[in-house]
Amino acid sequence: MPKPETIRGWGFVAPALIWTLAFFVVPFGIMAAMSFATLDGRELVWGFSLENYTRLFGQSYLLRAIVVSLEITLTVTIVSIVLAYPLAWIIVYRVPARWQRLALLLAILPFWTSYVVRSYAWLLVLSREGVINQTLMGLGVISEPLTLASTRFATVTGFVHFFVMLLTLTIYANLVQLPANYRRAAVDLGASSWQAFRHVVLPLTMPGIATGAFLTFVLCIGDYITPQILGGNNELTGPQIIMVQLGRGANFPLAAAMSIVLMALVTLAYLAASRWLRLDRL
Amino acid sequence: MRRAIPWVYMALAYAFIFLPVVTLVLFSFQDGRLPVPPFNGPTLKWYADVLGDTRLMSALLNSLLVGAGSAALSCALGFLAAYGLARHVLPGTLFLRGLLIAPMTVSYLIIGLGLLIVFNNYGPGPSLWAAGVGHVVINLPLAFAIIYASMGAQQENAERAARDLGASEARVLALVTIPMLAPAILAAFFLCLTLSWDEFIIAFLMTRFDVTLPVEIWSLLRSGLSPRTNAIGSLVFLVSVALVIGLELFIFGRKRR
Amino acid sequence: MTYFAARRGLMSSFAILALPAAAMAAEDLNALVWCDHTDPALIEPFEQQHGIRVNLREYEGTATALALLEQSRPGDWDVLVIDAIDVPRAVGAGLMAELPAEDLATADFWPGVAMEDQTQVDGKTYAVTEKFGYNTISFNSDKVDAADMQDLATVWSDKYTDRIAVYDYYLPVMGLAAIANGVETANLSADDLPALKETLFTMKDNARSVGEVVASQTALATGEVDIVIGGGEWLTAVLAEEQPELTWTIPDQGAVRWAQSIGVLEASENKDLAVEFVKYITGPEGQARLATSSCYWGMPANQKAGEHLSDAQKKVLRWDDQPDYLKRAQLYPAPDADLDGQMQDVWLEMLQH
Repeated sequence: MPKPETIRGWGFVAPALIWTLAFFVVPFGIMAAMSFATLDGRELVWGFSLENYTRLFGQSYLLRAIVVSLEITLTVTIVSIVLAYPLAWIIVYRVPARWQRLALLLAILPFWTSYVVRSYAWLLVLSREGVINQTLMGLGVISEPLTLASTRFATVTGFVHFFVMLLTLTIYANLVQLPANYRRAAVDLGASSWQAFRHVVLPLTMPGIATGAFLTFVLCIGDYITPQILGGNNELTGPQIIMVQLGRGANFPLAAAMSIVLMALVTLAYLAASRWLRLDRL
Repeated sequence: MRRAIPWVYMALAYAFIFLPVVTLVLFSFQDGRLPVPPFNGPTLKWYADVLGDTRLMSALLNSLLVGAGSAALSCALGFLAAYGLARHVLPGTLFLRGLLIAPMTVSYLIIGLGLLIVFNNYGPGPSLWAAGVGHVVINLPLAFAIIYASMGAQQENAERAARDLGASEARVLALVTIPMLAPAILAAFFLCLTLSWDEFIIAFLMTRFDVTLPVEIWSLLRSGLSPRTNAIGSLVFLVSVALVIGLELFIFGRKRR
Repeated sequence: MTYFAARRGLMSSFAILALPAAAMAAEDLNALVWCDHTDPALIEPFEQQHGIRVNLREYEGTATALALLEQSRPGDWDVLVIDAIDVPRAVGAGLMAELPAEDLATADFWPGVAMEDQTQVDGKTYAVTEKFGYNTISFNSDKVDAADMQDLATVWSDKYTDRIAVYDYYLPVMGLAAIANGVETANLSADDLPALKETLFTMKDNARSVGEVVASQTALATGEVDIVIGGGEWLTAVLAEEQPELTWTIPDQGAVRWAQSIGVLEASENKDLAVEFVKYITGPEGQARLATSSCYWGMPANQKAGEHLSDAQKKVLRWDDQPDYLKRAQLYPAPDADLDGQMQDVWLEMLQH
C-alpha cells in the first residue's frame, strides 16, 4: 500500500507523464512498428519485414544519404565547437564584466531570425550574384564568381552559423560558473596559460561543450530545411529522403525506417557524450 | 600585437554571425524584384505588401496562438511534474526524469512523423491543434528541466515553514512555490514561446489549412525569390529581438541588481 | 485554488486555440491543390460571389495526395487538382465523382487539351483540364547559343557543364530524357529505365544544381546557371518583364506537355458548390486568372480566356505558337504505382550520383 504522500506525488507527475506517453512514446512505438511494415501498391501491410532496412543499407543512394547526414553533422559539430569556444572564452575573460551580458546577447541575437528565413538569407549571401561574390569581385580579389551556393559548403555554413551561437551560449554558461581563481591558482603553481587551459579549464567546461555538441548533433542530423535550401539537391541527407518519401511516394514505412536509423545515430552520439551531459540541468 | 588577436577574432565572429541578418534586412528595402546586389535604394513597399497580405497575417496570428497556448501548457505540465519529482519521494525518480527529458534527444522531424502517423490513422487528422500538441511534446522537456533545475533548498525551506504554519499544499504552491519560481517559469514560458513560434517541420506536417508563420514563409519561398520574404523575415526578427531585449531588461536584468 | 487556476488557464488557452477553427464559415470548400490556386486574385472573386471560404492545401506528388485522400473522412475534401495523366489512378481508387459534362466548357478548349482519354472513364467525365504548358528548356539567350538549345543532345552536353540547373520533378525531366533517348513518353516501361538512368547521370554530371521551382528560377534569374532543364513558360513568364533575355524553346526532338486538371471528390459533402468551383476555374475569367496566377503562369485550357488576357500577357504565354507547340509536345509519362516507385528510385539515385 503506497503512502498517501506518494500517491499525491504521482498526481503531480501524471499529467506530464501521460502527455509524454500518449504523444511521444506511443507514436514513436507505432512508427517503429511501421518501419517493419511494407507497401503493396498504396496499401500498407503490417508485419515483420526487414525490407525497408535492407533497402536503406543495400541501395547505394539510400545508404549514401545516411553517410552524407553523418558527415555533415560531424563536420558541423566539430567546426562549431572550434569556432564557438574562443568566442565564449573572449567574452568571459577579455570583455569587461559590465559589457559581458551585452556581448553575449549580441553573439546570439540572430538566433531569433526565423529559422526558415535564416537559410534563405545565407542563399542571398552565398549565391553567384550574392553579397560575398559581389564584394570580392568589387575589390578585385576574384574575377569570376565563386561557386558557393548549392554545395555542401553552403549547407555546412548555414548550420555552423546557427550552432556557433548555440555553443557560444552553452560554453559561456559553463565558463562563467568557473571561479576565476582556479585558473590563477594553476598559473601561480607554475603552469603555463596553455597548461592551465588544457588541464584545468577545458576539463571543467566539458559539460558545456558536450551539452552544446549533443544538441547540435540532434538538431543538425534531423534538419530538413538547411540542406534543402542551401545544398541544391546535389546530395541528399536522411531527412530529405524522409520528406521525399512522405511528399511524393507516400512511403511511410521507408520514411519510418530512415527515422529509426537516424535515431540510432543520435543514441550513439548520446552514449559518446553521456559522461558529461547535463540535459536536465540546462 | 598579441593582445589584439582576441578582439580581431571577436570582430570576425560577429561579422560572420551578423552577415546573413544584415543582408536579409538590407534587401528587404530593395527597390526591385531580386534581393541581391546591387542595392537599388530604399523602399518600404515590401513591408506594405507583407502587412497587407491576409494569409501571412493570419499565419502570424496562428503562430502566436499555437506558441502561447503550447508554451502555457508546457509550463503548467512541466511545473507540476517538477514539483512532484522534487518534493515527493517517488519510486524510479531517475527513470521518470529521463522519460520526461527524452523528447529533447529526438529530432523534431521524427517526433512529427510519429504524430503524423498517429493523427492520420487513429486521430482527428492534421490541424493547428495537432501542431500545438506536437509543440507541447518538444517544449515540455525544456519547461520541466528549467523549472526542475531552479527548485532549490531555499524554496523547500520556505515551503516547509508555510506548511508548519498550517497552510495546505495548494496554498503553499500558490503563495510560496509559484511566486518564488516565477522567474524560472517565465523564462521557460518565453523560451517555449519562441521555439514554438519558429518551429517548422512539425507545424508543416501537422497543419492543414490554417498554418503557422514558418509554414507560410516556406510556401512563400517555394513560389519565388523576392524581397517580400526579406520583409517578413525582418519583421519577425525585429519583433523577436524587441521581445528578447524587453525580457532581458525587465525580468532577467532585475535579479542581478 | 491553484489547481482551478491552472485548469482555467488551460481551458482558456485551448479556447484561444479553437478560435481559428470556429471562425471558419459553415460552408467551406476544401481543396487539395497546386500552388497556382493559392493566389487570392483567383480565389477571392469566387469566395465573394458565393459568400463562402475556400480552404486550400498544397501537395507535391500524386501518390501522396491519393494516400491523404484515402485516409480522410467523408466531407474532409471537396475539390482536387491533379495531373491530368493521373486522373485514371484517382478514378480507379474510387476517389473521383462524376462531373456534369454538359455544363463544362470543353468545347472552347484548345484542340487535344480536353484529354478525354485521361479525364473520362467508361464515357463518364471525372475531371476537366484547366491549365497546361511545357517542360522543356529555359535558357538565358545572352549567354547561351540558341541553336544549341534546339538539340537535347547538346543541351546537357559538357559544353555547358556547371551552367545547368535541373528542375526537381521526376516525371517531366524523365519524360524529356526519354524523348532524348527516342522513347515516346506514353510507352515508357521498366525496360527503358537503365538507359534513362544513364541519360539522367549525364545530366547530373553537367548540372550545377537540381532544384524546385523557386530554386531553378532563382538560379536562372541571378546568373547562377544559364539553362534550366524541365523549365518552360511557367518558369520564365514571371521574370519576362525585367529580364527579357530569359526565354524558352521546344527542341527539335520535342518536349513534355504538362496538364493539370480539376475534379470533384466522391467523398465531398458539398458537391454542388464544388462543381460550381470547377465551372468557375474552367470558365473564361477564372481561366485568365489561373493562367497568370502568382505562383506560376501557364496556358489556360479554355481559349475564351484570351478575351480577358492582355496582348502582353498572351505574348509571354506564346498564345499564337500553341497550335505548333501542341503538335510537337508529348504528354507526361503515366506510370502505374510500381513503375512510379521505380522511377522515383531512379530519380533519387540520380540526385545522389
